[in-house]
Amino acid sequence: MDATTARKGIFDRSTKGVQVDPVKILVERGRIRFFSQVLGQTDPVHFDLDAARAAGHPDLVAPPSFFMVIEASANEERRRRGISTVQELVQVDYRYLLHGEERYFYEAPIYAGDEVEIGIVVTDFYDKKGGAMEFVTFESRIVHPERGLLVRSQRSLLHRLPEPRS
Amino acid sequence: MGAIDLKTADIGSPLPEVIFGPISRTTLALYAGASGDHNPAHIDIDFARNAGLPDVFAHGMLSFGVLARVVTQWAGVAALREFGARFVSITQVHDKISCKATIIERFEAGGETRLRLAVVATAQDGRETLNGDAVVALA
Repeated sequence: MDATTARKGIFDRSTKGVQVDPVKILVERGRIRFFSQVLGQTDPVHFDLDAARAAGHPDLVAPPSFFMVIEASANEERRRRGISTVQELVQVDYRYLLHGEERYFYEAPIYAGDEVEIGIVVTDFYDKKGGAMEFVTFESRIVHPERGLLVRSQRSLLHRLPEPRS
Repeated sequence: MGAIDLKTADIGSPLPEVIFGPISRTTLALYAGASGDHNPAHIDIDFARNAGLPDVFAHGMLSFGVLARVVTQWAGVAALREFGARFVSITQVHDKISCKATIIERFEAGGETRLRLAVVATAQDGRETLNGDAVVALA
């Protein structure tokens, strides 16, 4: 790649290894119901309290990808406190942003009423396609004060970098 | 729980498919509100055009959430041990997405028997949008 075609990265790569301060989030029943409804969940353990209890759960069960709702809630909390969100920290530019990969490891269910702590680490930055795409990876964990680690996640986000102006 | 007995599930067996869409702008607005992902590229066409995109596009995590349903509607959410996918192409507004899963492996881990499933989401024109795998525990 010569200098005339080099694209400039946008992510702040100096944030590699940064561990964002954990935030406590209360998992709300209404939020689980709304999220489940939009995804078209058919299993009533996600929206019907009686059905959830009949199936042996203490409350509504969060669907598998509810993890991201808790992360978004943590970012809202950071914004209220005047702290950078994770996206602001690594300097996401939504004009060029895409989601690369998402993976969850489930240790135990997340229930409505749980007050959980979520912590995130910026794990890496790398380039692909000769620098036309730049990636950032994160690892996060949702921990319950008594039940311990509930779910952990691995994520990559990417920028499709714009052509340099000549 | 689905109709298939997990204990007798064979390698290569497909799970019942889930189809959703065509994905409307309303669905994208609702998903933004429900998930807390307010990225304007999914909900604000002015923002999308200013970014040089032809239109807004669907949240990858919307398809991800529906793709996970294929597995949990069959095995039960409590059996899910792992779920992951790569977002291999952009899901456009009005795409109709077919979500499929197939059992590919049976193995022992964590003191239990587990199944690994290949999961894939495909648009109406055959374009693959998500590709990944899931692990469930046998009861």
